[in-house]
Amino acid sequence: MSIISIKSATKRFPNGFEAIKGITADIAAGSFTVILGPSGAGKSTLLRLMNGLETPTGGSIHITGETLGKSNLRKMRSCVGMVFQQFNLVERLSVVTNVLTGRLAHRSWLGSLFYLFRNEDMEIAQEALARVGLTDKAWNRADKLSGGQQQRVGIARALAQRPKVILADEPVASLDPVSSEEIMMLLREICDRDGITVVVNLHQVDLAKRFADRIIGMNSGRVVFDGTPAELSPLTLQAIYKRDEIKDDTNLNLALAYA
Amino acid sequence: MTQISIWRWPTHNGLPPLPAVASVVTVLTAMWLTVSLVEVDVARLVGSLSKMLSFAGNMFVMPDWKYLPQLLVKMLETIEMTFLATAIALFVSLPLGLLAARNATPHVIIYRLVRDLLSLMRALPELVWALVFVSAVGLGTLPGVMALAFVTVGFMGKFFAESIEVVDHKQVEGVTAHGAGWFQVRIFGMLPQALPDFIGTVMYILDHNLRAATVLGLVGAGGIGYDLVMSMRLFQYDRLLPIAVAIYLVVTLLDRFSDQLRSRIIHGVQAKI
Amino acid sequence: MKPRQTTPSASALPPKPRNLFPVWLAALLALLWLIVHDLEISFETLAYGVADMAEYFSRYSKPEFSELSRYLELMKITLATALWGTVFALVVAFFLAPLAARNLAPYPLAYRAARELLNFMRAMPDLLLALIFVAALGLGPLPGVLALGVHTAGFLGKFFAESLERVDKGVYEGVTSTGANFPQIVMYAGWPSIQREALGYVLYILDRNVRMASVLGMVGAGGIGLALHDTLRMFNYGQSAALIIVILVTILIIDYASAWLRRRLS
Repeated sequence: MSIISIKSATKRFPNGFEAIKGITADIAAGSFTVILGPSGAGKSTLLRLMNGLETPTGGSIHITGETLGKSNLRKMRSCVGMVFQQFNLVERLSVVTNVLTGRLAHRSWLGSLFYLFRNEDMEIAQEALARVGLTDKAWNRADKLSGGQQQRVGIARALAQRPKVILADEPVASLDPVSSEEIMMLLREICDRDGITVVVNLHQVDLAKRFADRIIGMNSGRVVFDGTPAELSPLTLQAIYKRDEIKDDTNLNLALAYA
Repeated sequence: MTQISIWRWPTHNGLPPLPAVASVVTVLTAMWLTVSLVEVDVARLVGSLSKMLSFAGNMFVMPDWKYLPQLLVKMLETIEMTFLATAIALFVSLPLGLLAARNATPHVIIYRLVRDLLSLMRALPELVWALVFVSAVGLGTLPGVMALAFVTVGFMGKFFAESIEVVDHKQVEGVTAHGAGWFQVRIFGMLPQALPDFIGTVMYILDHNLRAATVLGLVGAGGIGYDLVMSMRLFQYDRLLPIAVAIYLVVTLLDRFSDQLRSRIIHGVQAKI
Repeated sequence: MKPRQTTPSASALPPKPRNLFPVWLAALLALLWLIVHDLEISFETLAYGVADMAEYFSRYSKPEFSELSRYLELMKITLATALWGTVFALVVAFFLAPLAARNLAPYPLAYRAARELLNFMRAMPDLLLALIFVAALGLGPLPGVLALGVHTAGFLGKFFAESLERVDKGVYEGVTSTGANFPQIVMYAGWPSIQREALGYVLYILDRNVRMASVLGMVGAGGIGLALHDTLRMFNYGQSAALIIVILVTILIIDYASAWLRRRLS
């Protein structure tokens, strides 16, 4: 059963740039999907469409059968956690409070005005922190943590939402190789153990091949490949990383060398 | 039975953090203790609403068109006072700013003295000085300009000193290494670096002085303020509205302009509209 | 005929602003001269005044503190007015600033309305507002509180809104993506990110309001200003000097206290 289905979605930005040129895809519940492509391919925009951070100019997004729209945005977002390349934590707040923001969709604005949470929210937050192995850092300020740790807080925030889906937008692009490995393993484990559907944007072919159940290759706003990692051939990689304007692309050769 | 949920704050013990509580309690206590002093009275506030409305109603009468030329003259006078006072203050506070900057001052004692002098100069509002100067040199624009310039030196000197203190030391050393003298180091090594900050400061102060200049007339120190208070006292509502509108327009225009200029200088880009 | 120097349109733009500095300076000085002429400020009066000034200020040399307790009472009212005005401004700005921050405002219309409202409050000088409120509410510190509150709410709201606009877009997105609504985004991503700046602004406004509150009395809005106005009008230099000293000392104490607080915060 598909948990997310994208139906001929397009996205054109006010400046005229068309980031998504009609994409139709279904993502199965409990799967680990990697969206692969060079920067500027529209991966980020596609992910942001699924969380409602961008609204499609054409087509529609359905999550667990419901169409994503203005009226149910809050409810839909609460079951779709998001992890960002730059972590996007509130740096001045403690780690626990950052994780607790994952509970906001379940709380009224009045309580939030006084920074009040329920005890059960605190338990959920502690649980999420334990899950990412940061219980001992709970009371630190978020900006006092290393990059890898901050990203784990980001994942804990998403987990605290008790989501059905976690979307990760280039979660390892700002991290060193060791932390990258840890974060990808954590995401894979969350997918396997909690049965949460994970969709990850990546530009590293090797990581995609090792962790994904399914790879969607994108180039300039279109899906150019959709299959298992095993089906990813040098030829399809060439299609994914092809650029119109550059003939001899060193990046492409580099990416292929790592594949 | 389901667990009864209790609200808590995201802290160790579930209680709000002490510094936040302490400051809120302090402020609220101070306010509670001074309720009688400031005569806050809800009944009076509500009761005055009808008065406010009738006052507002009075404001919207046909403006006294014959008054317009005089309004323009007075407004121009206000702007001129602002400009002149800011310019005088600029010339005085440039050297004072140098003396009051920790890295440019010739001696630490001079630094302390000038700093204290500047903070004394800006301690009292323009209006107090205007009152004093009016009783010293008589009514007119002169005491107004003097009062404005006097207080402005206090602010401008301090702001200048602060922007000189944060200049990049390496560039200063570069100039020193080329054999520049004491004075040259300050003119060529420090001032150019602090210039963008200076311009921002001057714009900010011009803005502030214009607002101050509009009310100096209240004590007879020139500008539109005198007409304002007279039309208020004499219930000449047909003059009051044009005066208020004129003040609003001029202040807003300068405000927008200085916002644009400042963000262009600071960010090096066109300001957002 | 002499060949006229032609300048291509590209170089008609000033190549470097500094090259035009003497021109600007000359224009500035000419303008200043015009202004001095127009305002009929005569340097003779000024020079004459300066000579007199020493004598004039010597009259202030014997401050008369016989009514000190009354002055202190008035100063207390002044401080209370400033405090209430600042809190009033803080509350208003707290609700208006998020709406006036371009990247936060939920509706463009709300953004425009909040911005214009803040601009309007800022443009009205507080003494003018005090005059209006005195006319409506009668004499006393309450109109002073309202005048200070309304005027500085415009300032605080603008400062807050600009700080909120400078917060990294990602921080807002991080909280938005969890399904938080507008007030929650403001409370969890907005204010915590700017808390230090915001506190600095509030201290600055409090500082400013104490200064302004000490002159509001001149238009009947309570506090020490009225007493100073009266003693100066009656040429009672001893009492005027005492009042000025009371105001000066209070403001310097507040100045140092807020500077100390600001240092501790950073």
